[in-house]
Formats: sequence, C-alpha cells, structure tokens
Amino acid sequence: MRAESECVKCESQIVEPGGGPRDTFKVRRPCRVMILVNPNSGRGQALQLFSGHVQTMLTEASVPYKLVITEAKNHARELVRKVDLTQWDALVILSGDGLLFEVINGLMDREDWQQAIQTPLGILPGGSGNALAASVHHYSFPSAGFSQTKELLLSCGFMLCKGLVGSMDLVSVHLSSRQRLFSFLSIAWGFVADVDVESEKYRHVGPIRFLMGTLVRLATLRVYQGRLAYLPNTISKTSVETQSDGNTKALLLDSLLPSLDEPVPESWTVVKEEDFVLVLAIYQSHLAEDLWAAPGALPDDGAIHLFYVVAGISRPALLRLFLAMEKGGHLDCGCPYLVYEKVKAFRLEPLTPQGMIAVDGETVEYGPLQAQVHPGIGLLAPMCPTSLPPPSLCRS
Amino acid sequence: MGTTASQLGKDTLSEYQELTFLTKQEILLAHKRFSELLTKDEKDIPNIRISLERILTLPELKSNPFRKRICHVFSTSEHKDGSLTFEDFLDLLSAFSDSATMEIKSHYAFRIFDFDDDGTLDSDDLQKLVNCLTGETDETRLTPEEMRQLITNILEESDIDKDGTVNLSEFQHVISRSPDFVSSFKIVL
Repeated sequence: MRAESECVKCESQIVEPGGGPRDTFKVRRPCRVMILVNPNSGRGQALQLFSGHVQTMLTEASVPYKLVITEAKNHARELVRKVDLTQWDALVILSGDGLLFEVINGLMDREDWQQAIQTPLGILPGGSGNALAASVHHYSFPSAGFSQTKELLLSCGFMLCKGLVGSMDLVSVHLSSRQRLFSFLSIAWGFVADVDVESEKYRHVGPIRFLMGTLVRLATLRVYQGRLAYLPNTISKTSVETQSDGNTKALLLDSLLPSLDEPVPESWTVVKEEDFVLVLAIYQSHLAEDLWAAPGALPDDGAIHLFYVVAGISRPALLRLFLAMEKGGHLDCGCPYLVYEKVKAFRLEPLTPQGMIAVDGETVEYGPLQAQVHPGIGLLAPMCPTSLPPPSLCRS
Repeated sequence: MGTTASQLGKDTLSEYQELTFLTKQEILLAHKRFSELLTKDEKDIPNIRISLERILTLPELKSNPFRKRICHVFSTSEHKDGSLTFEDFLDLLSAFSDSATMEIKSHYAFRIFDFDDDGTLDSDDLQKLVNCLTGETDETRLTPEEMRQLITNILEESDIDKDGTVNLSEFQHVISRSPDFVSSFKIVL
C-alpha cells in the first residue's frame, strides 16, 4: 500500500479513552493537498472561509495546495475518478458532508480503488452538514466542545496542518436497484432522515439546527412500517475481501451480505417489531454539529452503531431524547422505546409506501437496502494526539 | 356562494373542485361529515357556522395537539372564535390534503405555529409550540431550563437576520430539509 511505504509511523500514538493506543501515520512532508470547495455550500461562504482562515493556515504551515472549485453535483465525483492520485498526498473537502460522499464514491469507482481509497481524506466544515468534522474534532478533543462552525473550522484546519492520519471504516450500501454506494457517516430512515438540501432560494440561510426540524416533525409524528435485521458485532474484525473479476480488477466483496432478494442468514437477528419511528445507522460519533449520536464510536472501530426507536413513544419522550443527544446523554434516558446495537451489517425493508432514506445526508431511492462495514479501508486526516492542546489556546 | 347542508349543487361542487386541492369524493365526504355536526334546524341555514367546540369533536381533530390553532387559522369569523363555515372547513381540508404542495403546507404550518398571529415565530410562539407537543401534565412538560436551552438553540441557528424571531422563509427552509413533511402534515377524513 502506498501509504505504508511512504509514511513514517508516528512516534507518539493516540491513546484511546479505553487505554489502548491507536496507530497513526504521518503523511510525508511536504504534503501536497488538493482542496475541493463547493462555493454554494453553507450560506455560500465556503470560499470566504477558505481565503479568510484556511489559506492562511496552510501557508503558515508550508503546505502546498491546489484549490478546486466544484461547479455542479457530481463534478467532484467525476474529477476524483480520473485524477492522477500520485500527484496528491491528501484530498481535503471544505464543504458539508455531501461533497465528501462524492469524493469517496469517486475513489471507489476507480479501477485502482484499493490504492485510491488509501488517499488520506480531510474534512473542513463549510457546509450545512458538518457531522464528520464535528466527529473528527470530538475524537481528538473529546472534552472540548465548540460553539460555532468557525471554531470547528480552525480546529480541523489546525489538525490538518499537523498532518496525521488514522484509518476509517467505510460502509458498503446496496440498494434495490443493484446500485452500490459507499458511506462514511450514516443511513437514516424515518424521523431522522433530514436531507442536506442546498436549495437555490435559501442558499444564504446556512446551517439550520436540527431542533427546529425536530419540532416540526414532532408536530406531525408518524410511524413507519418496516422490517429490520442485523448481524451483531460479536465476530472478530473481518479483513478486506476481494475477488478477481477474471481480469486485473479486484472487486471489493460484501461477504456478509446475501442477495437482497434472499432471506437474511441465520446468524442475523431479526427485530420482531415492525412499527418504527426511526432507524439510524451511524459509524461516526456525530450526526450533526450538535447531535452526538454515538458516544464511544470511533472512525475505525469496525462497527455500525444501529439505533432504532419503536412506535409507541410519546412526543415528549422523543423530544427529550433529541435534547439529550446534544450532550450524548440519550442512552442514559432509560427510554424503553430506544434500542442500540453494534452491528457489522444490517438490512432494512421499508413497508410504508411513502418515506425517505438518507445516506450521508443525501436522499437515495426508497426501498429495501442492506449494508455492511469494511473496517479501516479508508484513511482519515486529520487525527491528532490528545496531548496537543486545543486550537483556542494556540491562537495568539 | 352559499351552501346549505341539505344540498350541494353540481355547479357549486365544480367550483369547489377548482378552488381547492380536494377531489369530488373528498368534497362530498366533507359535506356529509360537516352536516352530521349540525342540528335539524341548522341544516337549512346558508353559510352556517359551527362553533370551535363542535368542530373539535371530529375524531380527526380531537387528538391533534394543534387542533385549536388549526381552527383559528382557517376561521373567517369576525369574532375570531375559531368557528368554521363549510367553506372554511373545505379550506382546512384542502391545505391538509394529499395534493396540497409543500409551499401551501409550510405556509399554513407557519401560521398555525404563530400563536400571536403577528407574522413571525418569536420565543413565546416557540414555547407554546413546544408545550403543545409535550402535553399537559407536569411530568411531561419541559423544565424551564430545558425550554430555555431549546428555544435559544432554535433561535440561534434559525434566526439569520438576528431579529429574535423566525420568519416564513427561514421556516420554509427548515421544512425543505424534510421532504416527508408533505406526506406527514395531513388530515384526511
């Protein structure tokens, strides 16, 4: 793997809350970085955020970079699919989570996906969905909060300049149209499926906190029928499995998943309830800047954190869950309608005819889907030893 | 246009179809259900108004946390008492029907949540909104601290022009992020 041959293992390792160290690698210096920006992202301020803060940081840290301004949906995906990756040491996205989704899927579209997906990916918040940036900040500074996107931006920018990377799980998602997508953040159905819509008219409005949308959804609370089944995370970490397609291309196998039209394997648990308020699969810690959905989740813990809320929960109880989620306290609410399982794979078959499914905040076709985790196949930058102080103390 | 409860003329029916999002069947069903709420004497009075209390006996409204606000918003009564004529009732059902657009539904949702009818959602409106959702008992209501946190967060992020309130376009942007709002925001007889 290119990353290993060119990287130097970091002397100081990140110490996890559980005590065990995590492996990190230092990206070679000088680190050439391609920065992708969606100019329409988050109030149309992404470019300003770049020239106002990020550019200065990169220059001061002597990081050579190229700025690419994306022009349309899928522009980034197409570009990444074709770019000569030997020229770049990291791809950084200054935007919301939607642009990273395009980059990851562009890398996985490539023939050389196995090397391509080892390109360190960085995220700087600039859009309306900054879940990954919030998660990354949390992994490195678990006790430091932040109150504004700008603080988050400085924090992530600071870490990027230090140049450390860590491995990242990706989740392979199968839709009934036989389409396969790769996801880095979440799959949501029901109450939570909030879409990162960069609506033309309201582009200037920016990150609307989840809470207003939560209230409106509570006002029109509905139940979604569906079937849910999962493979619990009790087996040991799976390795990346590939299969030759007869030529030179190696295909990434989703060995845990049968065909969507076949029943789930016996080793899977089938949820007996079929009336849900929400189903959320998340593999980072944060679902939004202020929604700490999976306390304890790590980007490379090899698990999908599956949450579901069954029908019968009252409006006040559901509201309390979301209020508690801001500080990650929803699991302590003692709510009998909320279930949390760590899984390796799951299948969701919605039965309610009208509804929405969002993968990484983007709507996908509504229908049966299944997903499995591929532990550690991506590289996430920045990661930072917890011994470094948070950026606010460094600013002078 | 006048309508008595005893008949719904063909021309009137067509006009209603044109003016609302409702189908012919939906209008006829609405007419039937509205008439069932009237006394024998009332059935021949054109443009009769039904009081708020009586409208709220309808099962479709009875358990809706915003039932009173809904009636107030659609009422054309000069006394602002939430009473509805048949045409008010049709307007209500039209806005909540399957065919009504996102713009219409979010517009009415905004008006329903605007408890003081001043055209914006301020801190008081939001508090009343939350209280409707959290119910009547002390156990289910938010604590003052929880309420304060919630309202502050909403205003902080939704209130772009920092005037302390959420206006219609800010509200509609929130709605646009949940496309299943249209299918959830429904009252069907």
